Amino acid sequence: MLRINELRKTYSGRLQALRGISLEVPAGIFGLLGPNGAGKTTLMKIVATLLEPDSGAVEMNGINLITHKDQARQMLGYLPQEFGFYPSLTGEETLNYFAKLKGVSNGKERKALIDALLERVNLSPARNRKVGEFSGGMLQRLGIAQALIGEPKLIIVDEPTAGLDPEERVRFHNLLSEAAGEDVSVILSTHIVSDVSNICSHMAVIRHGEILASCTPAEALDRLRDSVWEASVPRESVSAWKSRCQVLSSQMFAGLARLRVISKGQRPGEEFNQAIPTLEDYYFDLVSQPEESHAIAS
Amino acid sequence: MTSPFKTPFFAVFQNEVLLNSKRVAPYGLMILFIAHAVLWWVKGPAIALGWATNSDFYIVRNLKGFSFLLGLPIFTAVIMGDPVIKDFRLGIDPLIFSKPVSRGEYLLGKFFGNFFVLVCCQAAFTLTQLAMQAFPTSQMIVQPVRVLPYFKHFLFFVVITHLVLAALYFTVGTLTRNSKIVYGLAVCFYPVFIAYGFLFLKGLPLRWRHVLDPFLLEAGSPSRNGFGHSADFLNQFVVRYSADMMANRAVMILIAAVCLAILYVRLAIAERPANVEQLSLLNLSTAAQGVYYDSDSFQEMRGDRGDAPDYPGKEMLPIVPLPEVTRANEGFRANLNKLTAAIGIEFRLLRTERSLVVIMLLAIFLSTFELAFYDVVPSYSAAYSTSTAKSLLLFLVGITVFYTGEAMHRDRELKVEPVLWAMPAPNNVLLLSKFLSTFLLALVLVVLVGVTAIVIQLIRGHTPVEVFAYLTVYTVILIPTIVLTTGLSVALIVLLRDKYLAYAVSIATGAGLFYLYSQGFNHWLYNPVLYQLWTYADLTGAESTRVRILTHRVYCLAVASLCLALAHLAFKRKSSSKGSGVNGRPGYSVWALLVAAISATVAVMTGLMIALP
Repeated sequence: MLRINELRKTYSGRLQALRGISLEVPAGIFGLLGPNGAGKTTLMKIVATLLEPDSGAVEMNGINLITHKDQARQMLGYLPQEFGFYPSLTGEETLNYFAKLKGVSNGKERKALIDALLERVNLSPARNRKVGEFSGGMLQRLGIAQALIGEPKLIIVDEPTAGLDPEERVRFHNLLSEAAGEDVSVILSTHIVSDVSNICSHMAVIRHGEILASCTPAEALDRLRDSVWEASVPRESVSAWKSRCQVLSSQMFAGLARLRVISKGQRPGEEFNQAIPTLEDYYFDLVSQPEESHAIAS
Repeated sequence: MTSPFKTPFFAVFQNEVLLNSKRVAPYGLMILFIAHAVLWWVKGPAIALGWATNSDFYIVRNLKGFSFLLGLPIFTAVIMGDPVIKDFRLGIDPLIFSKPVSRGEYLLGKFFGNFFVLVCCQAAFTLTQLAMQAFPTSQMIVQPVRVLPYFKHFLFFVVITHLVLAALYFTVGTLTRNSKIVYGLAVCFYPVFIAYGFLFLKGLPLRWRHVLDPFLLEAGSPSRNGFGHSADFLNQFVVRYSADMMANRAVMILIAAVCLAILYVRLAIAERPANVEQLSLLNLSTAAQGVYYDSDSFQEMRGDRGDAPDYPGKEMLPIVPLPEVTRANEGFRANLNKLTAAIGIEFRLLRTERSLVVIMLLAIFLSTFELAFYDVVPSYSAAYSTSTAKSLLLFLVGITVFYTGEAMHRDRELKVEPVLWAMPAPNNVLLLSKFLSTFLLALVLVVLVGVTAIVIQLIRGHTPVEVFAYLTVYTVILIPTIVLTTGLSVALIVLLRDKYLAYAVSIATGAGLFYLYSQGFNHWLYNPVLYQLWTYADLTGAESTRVRILTHRVYCLAVASLCLALAHLAFKRKSSSKGSGVNGRPGYSVWALLVAAISATVAVMTGLMIALP
């Protein structure tokens, strides 16, 4: 279990990236959902020992990750949002180097591990190709392979699926699901709601450096039960609906606007039909509310 | 009619100038050329021989020397070799070629943009010499201030010559998309040109020699490069462009045009087929099999959320179990293993640096060039090793500063840093691997120069070869220098956190120190390279001098060690706080403090020993 307590970080004395975040991350895949600039990457960097917080604590299995970075790094697997590898090394050489840095010093064991990792991420055919020639999806898979070296207890993946095509996305989700176990926590930071809905057992929504909610996806959907409504309306009436109820989304289709709104227990209008709530609805509902209301709610 | 300043050609041209204005190389070249212009003005043969420093003859003499010597043909490759390669490497090419820019506009914009920058760099030499007319030294003959001849001769003798070289390098670089080939070509320039002169030009009549010599080395000047003529004659000599010379320039422009025309015809904008095939083996899918999010999801509600992916992939890969491995992250042996691995990778990455092939060959060539004309007795090896060590010093300082900077910043530039820094490898592994790999690189250069010197010694029959002389000189003089400059560079880069700022500070400090040394202020304490402070006899002769030199080397090593310890303490990647290590043992920061204290003590003690008479 990873415990984050009252974590604060301010950049250049002005920009408050984290405003006293507290969070409990159990074993399994934990989705950290939030819009761009919410503070996800800052939080990930602090947990990955790459950034010093102003205050607060991060603890995993009794070890304070802020003060005992050297020990923390021994149980960590990290895939940053933006990363690269040495382009002149092959995929196998890259993993071999990182395995050595992770302390896998026995040559035979290292070779067996790298073979299995390459097999697992489906890069065996490309093992001798230079990383500089890899596609985006291959790089991402090599990235997760290096994060899996050394039986990490905490795997942090920051925005890993942005830019991947559907097939690569599924592969990546499967890899993460395989990596998560009874004693392994995976933190998946993302702004793509379907990533969380597909593979995460727990989730939190972050905005402006604050946690807006922390629950399971099922609990999140329960909170919106019988509250989501949908209709196709003329474009001109959209602004009127927006002033009358909380609109989650509006999208133009065949000359009409498809509206998706929240209305607890009451049909907003004749045109509306009840819809099954989704995590997108929950997310939009949370992040579209004014900041003060969250402060009160939390 | 469209303004020429609003054409795609001008946009590409302007962008190239802008990009070059953000590179270090043009500024470095300008500084180098300005320094040489001043040096040639003050220390050239004009004063001794009574030549006017701004006479037509002397201006052309200097410009020809500038154009041919000083490695200018190699520097041309630095600017002109990879402008298009960079676009393809950075993946900007599809963005550019999807705009209404023709291949011709793109190529000409690229070529002339970079050539303009090159000419600006070269002009620094001419403009400095022009300005130096206002600062004549005593006994220097300076005619009334002249302006036009500088520009005229610069255009005629330098710009057009380098237009051909620029077109050649640009064409080869763009067609092969391999900058190493361009640099290889540049390194081969001098041998090829000398062979061209001896094997081809020499046998031709004078007229044809004038027409076909791209540098016009024999044309337009008095015979024997001015030597043997009276000063009065040379000062009144007017350089006129003969018909042969004009034909030569026309031929050069034609050759440049042919190069660019070939390039235009042969340039393929598309990615090389071989690469496409390779990438397609495991490339992203066509996305036809699954869509992870569609706009119709508003109507087709999904009720099975949280159970399984709602867009099954084409294939479910079998789960491959990972074998259990033993990990060793604590203790000296574990860290030594990590350090060895990191040094191996760092050294390998250094070897792939594009500029290395040029720099190393140039350093070997210039450090051993003098030996070909050397005639010394009685100990050839002592003289050879001393000469090469002195010539090599400047290169070693430059190489260690530059490549340490590259090694230290490579991880950030390639975005490997976050992955690497999250690894359980201590800071000393990350820092020492960069330090030791650069040290190894410099050591390889020293060995190569030593071997070359021995080979020259054998070829010239200057036997016996005394390997001990080489070992003594290189071990005592060069190796501590490499250690010190590399250590200083590591500390400087860690403290300043900016590669280019560190380069600027290093260059300024180096130039300042060498200026002080040349003025006679070369005390042992601030002369870590022992510039002008030793001879071979000092290393093998009297005990007192030898001890002083050895003490000085210990002083340098202690300063280097202090720098590394400080770099460790100031390194941006933080270790466990409060100096805590594992199991109550002192952390790496505590060790670094201890090393810093010991190094500082040794440096102070040895410093006092060498400072006191």
